[in-house]
Amino acid sequence: MNESNQSLLETFLNDTSFESWANQSNQNDMEFWDLWIQNNPSKLEAVYTAKSIITGIAFNKTVLTEGKITMELDAVLKQLSSKGKKKVIPLKRTLTPRIQKYAAIAAVGILFILLGNTFLSATSEVSHKTGFGEIMELKLPDGTSVVLNGNSEITYDKDNSRNIELNGEAYFKVKSIPSTNAKFWVNTKDLKVEVYGTQFHVNTREEKTDVLLDEGSIHLVLHNGITKKMVPGELVSFSKDNNKVTHQKVTTETPYSLWREGTYVFNNITLQEVMNNLEHAYGMEVEFIDEELKQQLLTGGIPNQNLKICLSAIEKSTGTRIVIKDNRLILFKTQ
Amino acid sequence: MNDSSEKSIWHLFVEGDVNAFSTLFKTYYSQLHSYGLKISSNPALTEDCLQTFFVYLYDNRKNLGTITHIKSYLFVSFRRALLKYLKKERKITSYDEVFENSTVFEFSPEELMVEQEFTKVRVRTLTQLLNNLSARERESIYLKYYSGLSTNEIADVMSISYQSVLNTLQKAFTKLRTHIESQEIKRALKII
Repeated sequence: MNESNQSLLETFLNDTSFESWANQSNQNDMEFWDLWIQNNPSKLEAVYTAKSIITGIAFNKTVLTEGKITMELDAVLKQLSSKGKKKVIPLKRTLTPRIQKYAAIAAVGILFILLGNTFLSATSEVSHKTGFGEIMELKLPDGTSVVLNGNSEITYDKDNSRNIELNGEAYFKVKSIPSTNAKFWVNTKDLKVEVYGTQFHVNTREEKTDVLLDEGSIHLVLHNGITKKMVPGELVSFSKDNNKVTHQKVTTETPYSLWREGTYVFNNITLQEVMNNLEHAYGMEVEFIDEELKQQLLTGGIPNQNLKICLSAIEKSTGTRIVIKDNRLILFKTQ
Repeated sequence: MNDSSEKSIWHLFVEGDVNAFSTLFKTYYSQLHSYGLKISSNPALTEDCLQTFFVYLYDNRKNLGTITHIKSYLFVSFRRALLKYLKKERKITSYDEVFENSTVFEFSPEELMVEQEFTKVRVRTLTQLLNNLSARERESIYLKYYSGLSTNEIADVMSISYQSVLNTLQKAFTKLRTHIESQEIKRALKII
């Protein structure tokens, strides 16, 4: 391959659109590059080489079992602590027996403090809480990303970020760990969501928990002990107070409201329910001047990074006027 | 592990946090283990060396300097440690000797992921073609597609330039493509 083909190869490899063509992942890029190749047949060699470098060779990767890794880790940790001890030994020789006794007592004391600390840190909880109207994007230590809507909270043990408590509303993209098949749990007051790696939305407001699955597969363990398996595109609602379960496939007719990566998506939802969502997320009270507005249906996506933008999107799509007064949102028809 | 959480874990590790150390260990042990096996073909030796390597890493955490790419750092320093270890054990007399050895980065048919219509014979052909590449070509293919390192990271690990990595990969695939006649094998390589 000559000099110019060489730099061409580099250009291809650094081009994300070329990459999607090679992986056949984007229709537009595929059309573009197919045409480009037709018009540049002399560059075929560089194109094919670049393509094979991108798609590469698929390997079956050998992954050691968790047990094996833990065993090896323990062996290494032992070596770390035994080295720590060695450093202490020379001290003893210079101490008198009496001081040695005190030193021993002190050492035991220090040991207890150290143990106490590790014990405390092992059980200490991490919690993330959003205020009204605040949206927080979090990366958990295991790589899972969580978008927390306003007035919501997640809590988990410092050492196990794959078992979390949720109060409020959040969107999860769980990082799957194929090597160990490690599960991920979201606990709410009504149910427990059991996951391997997937994307879903959980809402615990309104005295019930809604779970909507975007991708992958999850199991729900309801508070009453019943388990449910969900497939993508399904919506399950459950309340432990009245043991009522609804399990439905989301279609264009299904009314639902969900919150995905910072955007509300409503489908056939009454304006009253839409406003309920905002009440929770922003901690405001809603007042309808024109009662019939409550039943007006809304479908579409509304960004809610910011209350003003969110409200003006609702105003435009429903033909209403929304006024903010103190802590209240007042809705009336535009004339 | 994503970039920012990895950075904070590394930071905690340098501060002496044993939990952070354990996380790094659990995240990379398996990958480094199979990489080491490809070089030494000796599980016991690889595991001994990995233990010594991680203990060394912990003891010298304050003197490691600024590390920007943790994964490639671990690969490059483990590679160095393993070669040193092999030399001490008198398995080799010089570093270059490792790469003259034809079993280094040898692939087995079981390691190739293939579509169902693939027969064992064809998998064997592809394995043979791979094993006919030079040891360095095989290592770059291994690091890229098995360990998932970027071209820049491979350059770090193999102590060669970005351009050389690219050349090596390009040569490897050109060789593979010219050898491959059967349509099915082309499909396995996902070449048009």
